[in-house]
This record gives sequence, structure tokens and C-alpha cells, in this order.
Amino acid sequence: MLDYMIYILAFAIGSILGLLYSYKQHGEPFVADTDFNMVMAAVAIFGWCLAFDSGNVILAAIGFLLAGFVMGERPGYGRKETAVGLIIAIILYFLLKWTV
Amino acid sequence: MNLMAEILIQVVIAFLAGSLLLGLHRKVMARVQKRPGPPIVQHLIHSLKFFFKETAIPKTVSKVFYVGIVFILALVWIVGVIAGPVAHDSLLILFGVYAVYKIVEHNSGSSSGSPYGKLSCVRAVLSAATELPLFAAIVLVYLMTGTMNIGEIITYQSVHGPLAFSIPLAAVMFFMLIITKSPYSPFAITKDKALISGFETEHFGFLRGFMLFSESIAWYVMLWVFLTIFFGPLNAVGYLIGMIVITFITGFINATTPIFSPNHSVMTQITIGAICFFGTLLMIFTGVVA
Repeated sequence: MLDYMIYILAFAIGSILGLLYSYKQHGEPFVADTDFNMVMAAVAIFGWCLAFDSGNVILAAIGFLLAGFVMGERPGYGRKETAVGLIIAIILYFLLKWTV
Repeated sequence: MNLMAEILIQVVIAFLAGSLLLGLHRKVMARVQKRPGPPIVQHLIHSLKFFFKETAIPKTVSKVFYVGIVFILALVWIVGVIAGPVAHDSLLILFGVYAVYKIVEHNSGSSSGSPYGKLSCVRAVLSAATELPLFAAIVLVYLMTGTMNIGEIITYQSVHGPLAFSIPLAAVMFFMLIITKSPYSPFAITKDKALISGFETEHFGFLRGFMLFSESIAWYVMLWVFLTIFFGPLNAVGYLIGMIVITFITGFINATTPIFSPNHSVMTQITIGAICFFGTLLMIFTGVVA
């Protein structure tokens, strides 16, 4: 169970960091920028892929931290990026499962 | 693994997972009501925040009782984690945990001396109506499996398939308990909007922090027990998906229903409980369920 505790702790810390970072970037009282953020999308894809497909506790924990960072952004930000990251990670998981 | 380490790890997991799930619950409710809603991690931050706030104690409280009840609440749900996810022990212990939780709700409200707390304390007695369907669900599980031990119930389901498919009405009864304990539930008569925060109203600072900590654990333990005794042996991904799905469903239900008055709440719970209990007995004794 220790590995699950590490994952959930990493995800929670990542979410809190993401929220703090996001409020620094966007201080407006409303959602001002709805564009797809390529950098955050790359972080989300990298994070979710590491989390689901690395098979290593440390790498998966880093993955959950990064995934949590994007998912934990201020409401209105990071949603599309998270969705793209999750979909790619799940597809990769099945591809690895069937081919390897 | 060392038992103490196992308990500590499970309690941390229960707190974090419960907090995130309650955050998700708030998010789902907000999205149904066309609001952006707080971030999912907000409930966790909120719980941690209270540990660093000033703890004011009102003059009207019964001090020892007022402080002690908070620790009893935390202890009760830690026992829930030990009896459930750690030891896979008897369902009766978990029923006992839930019964003590009711008493703690009641005493927490009465110890504050606040009229809001007192009203909540009176309503906590009425909300014991939830315990009857819970006990009935446990009895039905016992009738089917011949055991109260969670470990043995899991083994039974690995052979005969999940109990949710053989005694679905008992699962409905247990699910009603989960709806009752979810935030902003139609049956949440001890914490409805007329009472501000119900029995928690007069607890501030780290005392409220402990209460939120306990509630997160309580949510996790209840979902864990429901998934374990009705959906058979599950792996971590199964639990995660199950917990997220149930949180989504309760979020939808709570976002679209008003909070019942105490008499409506009690009657609805008793009626659903009675229908499901006698329905399942009929299924068992007429041979519909093998």
C-alpha cells in the first residue's frame, strides 16, 4: 500500500502547486484565457504517461505530481490539457499491453 | 508489513482519497448547477487550513466534552479504517463505528451550547433512521454468505460473483446510507442549510480541522465497505473507478434534489429500507436468489 500512498500524496502536492502557480499566472476574477496551452498539454501527457505506463514507483510518483500540477490548475484552466494527456496515456497503456 | 505502519499508511490514504473525492463531489454538484466550482483539491486545502487557524472556544460550551468529542470522532473513523481496509474484520464493528458516529454527531451538537448545534443534536436522533437500512443490509449479506467477516465475504464473492447482482436491493439500501452521508444530501437533516454547518457550527480552528479530517476518512471508509461487500474482490484501479463513479452519482443526486424536512427524510429512508429488505427476503426464500 506504500506505493499507493506515495502516488496519492504526489498527486495532492502536484495539485496544490498547480493551483498556486495558476493563480500567479491568472489573477483575473474570471477565466480570461481559454486557449489550449501547449506547454501544459506536454506536461500533462508526460505526467499521465509516466504515471500509467512507467511501471516504476518513483517515475509514476513524478508522473502523478506532473499530472496533478496540470489538473489542479485554477478552475477553467488545464481541463483540455488533462483530457488530452489522459487519453494519450490510456491509449499508450493498451498499446503496450497488447504489443509487449 | 508492520501493523502500525499499515494502519498509518491506510489512514493517510483514506484522508487524502476521501478529501479529493469530496472535492470532486463539490465540483460535480457545481457543474450540474452551471457554476465553475472550486478546484478538486480545495476540500483538502480547506481541511489543512483549519489546523493553522485560531481555535476560539465559546463561553457556553461544556469544555471537556466539546474538545473530547472531536478526538472521539477522529478515533471512531480511524477504527473504521482498521476494521475495514486494514484488517478485513467483521461488518458488525463497522456497524458499531457508524452507531457511535451518530452519538458523536448528537453530542457534538449538544456540547456547544449553540441553538444551531442543539437543533442539529435533536435531528441527529431522528437521523438514526439510516441505521435501520444499514443493519438490514448487513443482515441480508449475512443470510446470503453465512458470515459477517469482510475477508470471508470477499472470498464468497470470488466464488459466487458479486453480491450486487444476487441481492441488488440490499445494495440499494447500503447506497442510500452513502447518499445520506454525502454532503448536501436530501437526507442530511443534521447539517441542512437551516442549521448553517449543523453540529460543526461552533467548532473552530484545529477542532474543525479534525472534524473535516474525520469526514474525509468516513467518506472513504463507507465507499470502501460498499464496494467490497457488494462488488467482490477489486484491485486498486477497481476501487478508484468505483469510488469516482459513486461520488459522481451522489453529486448528481444531491445537486438536483432539495434537502428534505426531518419527517420526510425519515419516512423516505424507512420506506425504501422496508421495501428493499422485504423484497430481498422474498427473493431469498422464494429461491430467486440461489
